[in-house]
Amino acid sequence: MIRKTFESDIQQVKDEVLLLGSMVEHAIIGSVDALKKRDIKAAEKIIAEDKEINKKRFAIENQLMILIATQQPMAHDLRLLASTMEIISELERMGDYAKGIANINVRMGDEKLLKPLIDVPRMAQKGADMLHRALTAFVQEDVATAQALPIEDDEVDALYNQIYRELMIFVIEDPKNIERANWLLWVAHNLERFSDRVTNICERTIFIATGEFGEIKSSDDEFWKNQKK
Amino acid sequence: MNTPNTLPYPQGNAFYSTLRKRYLTATIWQSLFLGSLLIAIIVLMALIYNVIDGAFGYIAYEYKNSPSEFTATAPNELTKEELLVILKDNLSRGAYNKLDEEQTMETRSQSDLLNLFFERLVRLDTKQTWSMTESLSKGAEIQAEVAEKYPDAVLEFRSWLTPQFLTAPMSSRAEFAGVRTAVLGSLWLVGIAIAFALPIGTGAAIYLQEYAPKNWFTSIVQTNINNLAGVPSIVYGMLGLAVFVRVMESFTSGAMFGVTDSNGRTILSAGLTMGILVLPLIIINAQEAIKAVPDSLRQAAFGVGATRWQTIWHHVLPNALPGIMTGSILALSRALGETAPLIVVGASTFISLDPDGPFSKFTALPIQIYQWTTRAQSEFHAIAASAIIVLLILLLTLNATAILLRNRFQRRW
Amino acid sequence: MENTNYAIETNNLSIHYGNFTAVKGVNMKVERQKITAIIGPSGCGKSTLLRAFNRMNDFVPSCHVTGELLLDNQNLYGKNVDPVEVRRKIGMVFQKPNPFPKSIYENIAWGARINGFKGKMDELVEQSLRSAALWDEVKDKLQQSAYALSGGQQQRLCIARTIAIQPEIILMDEPASALDPISTLRIEELMQELKKNYTILIVTHNMQQAARASDYTAMMMIDDQRAGGVIEFDDTKAIFTRPKDKRTEDYVTGRFG
Repeated sequence: MIRKTFESDIQQVKDEVLLLGSMVEHAIIGSVDALKKRDIKAAEKIIAEDKEINKKRFAIENQLMILIATQQPMAHDLRLLASTMEIISELERMGDYAKGIANINVRMGDEKLLKPLIDVPRMAQKGADMLHRALTAFVQEDVATAQALPIEDDEVDALYNQIYRELMIFVIEDPKNIERANWLLWVAHNLERFSDRVTNICERTIFIATGEFGEIKSSDDEFWKNQKK
Repeated sequence: MNTPNTLPYPQGNAFYSTLRKRYLTATIWQSLFLGSLLIAIIVLMALIYNVIDGAFGYIAYEYKNSPSEFTATAPNELTKEELLVILKDNLSRGAYNKLDEEQTMETRSQSDLLNLFFERLVRLDTKQTWSMTESLSKGAEIQAEVAEKYPDAVLEFRSWLTPQFLTAPMSSRAEFAGVRTAVLGSLWLVGIAIAFALPIGTGAAIYLQEYAPKNWFTSIVQTNINNLAGVPSIVYGMLGLAVFVRVMESFTSGAMFGVTDSNGRTILSAGLTMGILVLPLIIINAQEAIKAVPDSLRQAAFGVGATRWQTIWHHVLPNALPGIMTGSILALSRALGETAPLIVVGASTFISLDPDGPFSKFTALPIQIYQWTTRAQSEFHAIAASAIIVLLILLLTLNATAILLRNRFQRRW
Repeated sequence: MENTNYAIETNNLSIHYGNFTAVKGVNMKVERQKITAIIGPSGCGKSTLLRAFNRMNDFVPSCHVTGELLLDNQNLYGKNVDPVEVRRKIGMVFQKPNPFPKSIYENIAWGARINGFKGKMDELVEQSLRSAALWDEVKDKLQQSAYALSGGQQQRLCIARTIAIQPEIILMDEPASALDPISTLRIEELMQELKKNYTILIVTHNMQQAARASDYTAMMMIDDQRAGGVIEFDDTKAIFTRPKDKRTEDYVTGRFG
């Protein structure tokens, strides 16, 4: 290997991305967990930790910029560094969804949950799991996994649809439930968006490995199609 | 084509007509250069022809005495001892002693003695010689002429350049004269000159290239060295005469070392004069060779902490050496051909003794040639031509050595 | 002591050719075991400055240096300092690979020998070639001419030759400008290895190279009297992502002039 130094710099960036990813995972699971337990203190902690996620993202961005400025990456290296820039911005947004859920938790105050949370933690668990595997695929440039993961997003979408319908029933039963249903709908929506962004990460991974751009599957479109029916 | 017609260059036919003119000019110049080359070749061929023309040809000679008067066997088959006896018996005591004094008779070679036999006893008498061209084109006429004018004479086609010509010493008779003394003299001269000029010249060149600061003094010295290379050789002769022959006589005559039988006009004086003559050439050549050693090599040496002397000794000199040697050999071939300074310093025009040391009297090939060409008899012109061939071969050998050395040791950078 | 972090320092160092000042008032502290690059447009005096560090400029008549060049608190331009000693402590690798016209072995052994090396020569040769990442390529042909090597290998041989005399600092004057891109990267990677033991100062007209390979970068520029000077000296990352001086910004973005 001629460019050992550059290679180790790239490895370091990938490690940092994994670290950022695990922070995001931790945040999304934590935020839902806090909501389930209606633990406002834990939610506030998640909100504070989002600042750390943002900081980390800027640190990686700076590192990437320095590598681009000093190492003149070409071809695969260029795709990797430029796409990583995109991926960390996705991760930061995903962190924001966790923060959003924590915010809802705080704003709910003393109000009880409309219903015990069963599918919401499942969505969070699934999203976090997908994120974990997506980032592993990114580090290993595992195209097969990156292509397979977006299909699993359907499960998350299905959970979302189910939660949506359940909440609608609550609202129809008693319009006073609207506000509390709305909180939970937001939470579910955030989780749905969270796993959509995993798809974006997978697209980047495929681009890094193959140089091909392409949307794998827009689960958003699927969702709206389902709604029309 | 969408090239606008307003381009400030000729287009179409106009372009081709200017192109034809340009080619025409080129052709004219090319022919002129070729003409120059042809003239040079013709001149060179004429020179070689002229020399060879003189060195071969018919000779008509008579024996004053028949060889059979001295011996029953064919002269060529006589042994050294038989020849010694014949010579002792037939030469006058005075003549024999004189020969013995020049070189002890017993130490002479068989061919040397055979020459003496023909020269002194049989006494060849050359009647007439012809050049090669005459001999080849008018053979029949020459035969008729000889038969009429010299009925007793032998007519034969002779090469004046023979092994015997190379090994025989000087003689007053062209038929027996050889260039051994002159060749040895020339070699001594060149040897002394190189022994003197090479170390001094290389040393001076190293100082000038590697040490001397660039100031007005150095540039004056440099200019003078360049000018000295163009000074007429006779001037060096005068210098040699004044300094080596006169002022330093006790050294150059060998008196300092106990040699008594010579004056300052020795081979040493002449060699030193030649050395001084080629010194500027050697300095300039050595300077060029040193200059050609790339600076990057010096920097490399300095870069690993070498002193200037280590740099010069280990890198500059070894890499400049082929160039210095080539330059020196070329300078020496100039020395080999010089005549004028030798005459001034006092080369002997007739000497049959081989030089045996730096304090001997001497002659050299160009001197010998010069002396022979001034003689009236045509047979001397023939041996002069042969001597010129010998000189040319010597020069060519030296130059070829120079080229071989250069190719052998040349470095790629 | 605070200054132990610095391998060599310049104190208002200026280089003059006769009456002309080529490099003016340079104050640089070169950190130990780091790679410091000197960049700048052609003719800004970067090579001149580099050559001042091991007194290579001594060979240019009319060149004289004012100010101080401090190695271990000793001014290398002081009266009692021998330039030969300076060059033993501060080795140099040149722009064009310039191995000696000798065998690969001799190329390394010569410098050691003239400096009075007393150890085992074979070991030194092997160790130097290994450090220069050349051993595996030449171990079977040590007695062959160094000229038989490729340009990149020759340059690594020159580096091996330099580290064989164990200098404290290695100066590199555009060491890769005569090489192809792959050989260039190899040399840069080698520099990263070498900086574990040596302080490296490199001049390069290739600012990408400075960006890739160096830890610190000094930006040089000529002023209106045509004297070169260091206008910015900073962490390489800073120079190439947020330079402070407008002229540095213009130069690294290719908008100079």
